[in-house]
Order: sequence, then structure tokens, then C-alpha cells
Amino acid sequence: MSSSILDAIDRIVAGNRVYAQQTSEQDPNAFKEWNKGQSPEVLWIGCADSRVPETTVCNCKPGEIFVHRNIANCVPADDISSASVVEYAVTHLKVKKVVVCGHTKCGGANAALADADLGQTLNTWLHPVRELRRKHKTELDKLPDDDARSLRVAELNVQQSLEVLRLHPAVKRAINERGLSLHGMIYDIGAGQLRLLEASGVKKTNGLWSPN
Amino acid sequence: MSGEPPSNPKEVRKYLQQSHDRIFESNRKWASEQKAKHPEFFEKLAQGQSPDYLWIGCSDSRIPAEAVTGLEPGEMFIHRNIANLVCNTDLNVMSVVNYAVRHLQVKHIIVCGHYGCGGVKAAMTPKDMGILNPWLRNIRDVYRLHEAELDDIPGDNDKKYDRLVELNVIEQARNVIKTAAVQQSYEEKGFPVVHGWVFGFNDGLLKDLNINFEGELEKIKKIFDLTKTE
Ligand SMILES: [Zn+2]
Ligand SMILES: [Zn+2]
Repeated sequence: MSSSILDAIDRIVAGNRVYAQQTSEQDPNAFKEWNKGQSPEVLWIGCADSRVPETTVCNCKPGEIFVHRNIANCVPADDISSASVVEYAVTHLKVKKVVVCGHTKCGGANAALADADLGQTLNTWLHPVRELRRKHKTELDKLPDDDARSLRVAELNVQQSLEVLRLHPAVKRAINERGLSLHGMIYDIGAGQLRLLEASGVKKTNGLWSPN
Repeated sequence: MSGEPPSNPKEVRKYLQQSHDRIFESNRKWASEQKAKHPEFFEKLAQGQSPDYLWIGCSDSRIPAEAVTGLEPGEMFIHRNIANLVCNTDLNVMSVVNYAVRHLQVKHIIVCGHYGCGGVKAAMTPKDMGILNPWLRNIRDVYRLHEAELDDIPGDNDKKYDRLVELNVIEQARNVIKTAAVQQSYEEKGFPVVHGWVFGFNDGLLKDLNINFEGELEKIKKIFDLTKTE
């Protein structure tokens, strides 16, 4: 079914009918169960990129993954949207894992490596990613090509988001009290595979700010 | 990923490891099935994305946008936050709208809420929610804008709650229409068109709130016209 034949909106309305029908055929109680509430184990913070739909690539069912997706899976310390998602997921839903997932061929990482003016909105949002490029210039310059540099920036950006998350008071509390764990991942778009990042970059607190 | 979690620390660690491994196992299974079905699937995706749709939905785990619309990876750009809000001062959502409209040139923007939304419910509850207060304030403001209609709804709170979910979607869709990116692109190219939908768990169906995009655009222009640049 190509979108040139069917109107784009008719197409997803039809797609939704198929989804509703198939879901209740496979499990007649599915919607009744979901109607009662949600208890996801995982909070996924990922890129808005259309090629990384979390529930599909993890082969999970609806109800399993609570989701925040934005440009380049950033978690700026002063961002109220992601902070609210984290608070709701960790304190109220009591998820057990928080995953930050970056990916290869990320438009945000590529933009951060280039010098194009993306307009004030995107320039501001991507500023922390561009800062990574500046901070890690020596390492990035040694890499063989743009794809490798883009991947490395995506990895560093995941680590940066994890560092902000570790300082979120709800996260800190949940780590201590009930073993909440944080994980960095990279999704390889060309292979369809997830890769776990080593838990590196965990900085010891230096006495400046340590919520407990 | 369901079942009773264990309680002693050693067991918990093992259990967490298992649910962790399961994500990777499931992912590998999905990737190899996908490759078997369409051998060039991933190579094609690696070349770039050109989605027709931007979806602005709730973070709620029960509504994975691509699954409930039957779309394949690569077809829908997705932003999800608590209660599918589009706040004008939120750089997070604004950069998504900006990128989707100006760079990806999406044809449709769908703001999708859902009945039974925990965010909307929390906003209807008069309670201090800490750091969530500023975010939920935006939903409380939707209530204030439509106070007369909502307070006129007879019977239990459930109907009022459902209606606030719908009104919230309509207001957030309006907020998308108020952006310079959408107004300028529509004037120049005739897209994107903004839609407001609600997902229901009773039947798994999407309900179109039939927002009249052109009519709304005209209405907001008196105050919010941003088509002229400096
Ligand atoms: Zn990306
Ligand atoms: Zn919700």
C-alpha cells in the first residue's frame, strides 16, 4: 500500500482499524486490560526519528514501554518536559529501568557536526550537542569518516543525558531505594540492532550537588 | 515484561537483568524477521527518513504510535510527552515541530490524546504534584478556558474527564497552528494540515475530533499571525 495511492490520513485510519481488530482477535481481553491502567517497566528516552519506533524495534507490546522522544534524545538539565516525564515514570509509575537510546545516522548528531544555521529554535536545542563536538574535538578528528564521528557524538550525547538523569532527585532516590537502573544504548539503523553502551563516564560526585 | 517482581535484593537484580536481556533478545528477533521479510529493509532506512506524519502523543506506554496506526519504521516522526502538550515556551516540542515542518516537510501533524490519561487526571485533582505542577498547569488552564462547558456536564466526573481529554487535544492542536513554522509552510506550500485525535482503550480505535484546520487557522490569525518575517 503506497501513500501515493491512498490519502495519507485515510491510510492510517485504515491501519488503526486493522490494529484494533487484530489486537482483539489475538487477545479478546487486551483492551479491557489496558483500560485498567499501565504498569510499564521501562522508560525509554529516544530520538523522534521515524526509523526508531521503540515498541516495534524492541518487539514489545503496548503497555511495556513509557516513552519520551525528542530531537536527538537530549535531556537538558533545565528541560521541564523531559523532567516531568522522568518524575511521572519514576515516582508515580515506578519503572525499573530508564533507557536513553541514541542511533546511527542521527540528524541531530549530524547537524551538530556541521556548521549550518538551523534557525534559532533548533540552534538552541542542539547547542549542548554542538558543545560535545567542541569538547571532544581531538578524539573526533582522529575518526576515519563522518559516519564514525556522528556515531561517536550520538554515544557521547547518550552519556550526557544519563549524567543529567543521575542527578534528577526522583532517579537518585529510586536508585538507592529500589534498585532503579539506567542504561545507554545505540540503535543501528542499518542493521536494526540495539547495542548496550558500557557504563562509562559515571562521575564521582565532587561535593557540589548530590541529591539524596 | 509482566508478572510479579521478586522482593529480595539478589532476586531483584537477577530479575532486572532478565527483563533487560529480553529487550535485546526481542530486538534481535525482530531484526532478523524483518530482514527475512524484506532483505533491503534496513539498508533503505539507513539512507534517510522522509516521514509524511508528525505524531505528538502522550508518553503513556499503551499507545505506541507506529503500532496503533499500522505504520512501518521510517513513516512517522514522533514526539511524546506527558499528556501530549504543546507549550509555546517549551523548546523541546518546538524544536520537534520546527524540524518536522521545515526540514522533513511532513504533510500531516497529528496531536493525539487518549481517554484515561493519567496526566489529565492528575490535573483534575487539586493536589500539589511538586515538579509536575508547571507542566500540569497547562492542562488546568485548558479547564479554565472551557470551565463553563465542563461544569455544565451532568453526572459523574467520568464524562467531564473524557471531555477535558478532548478539549486538551483541541487546544494543543491550536498551539501547533499558532507556530510560525506551520503558518509559513502552509501559506507557501499548502501543508502541513493539523489534526486532533483521541485514542480509546475500549475498542483501540482513533477518534477524529474533526478540527477544521483552515477555519482554526483563520480564527487564530487575528492575534497569532506569524506569516510575516522581519
Ligand atoms: Zn536522531
Ligand atoms: Zn496520557
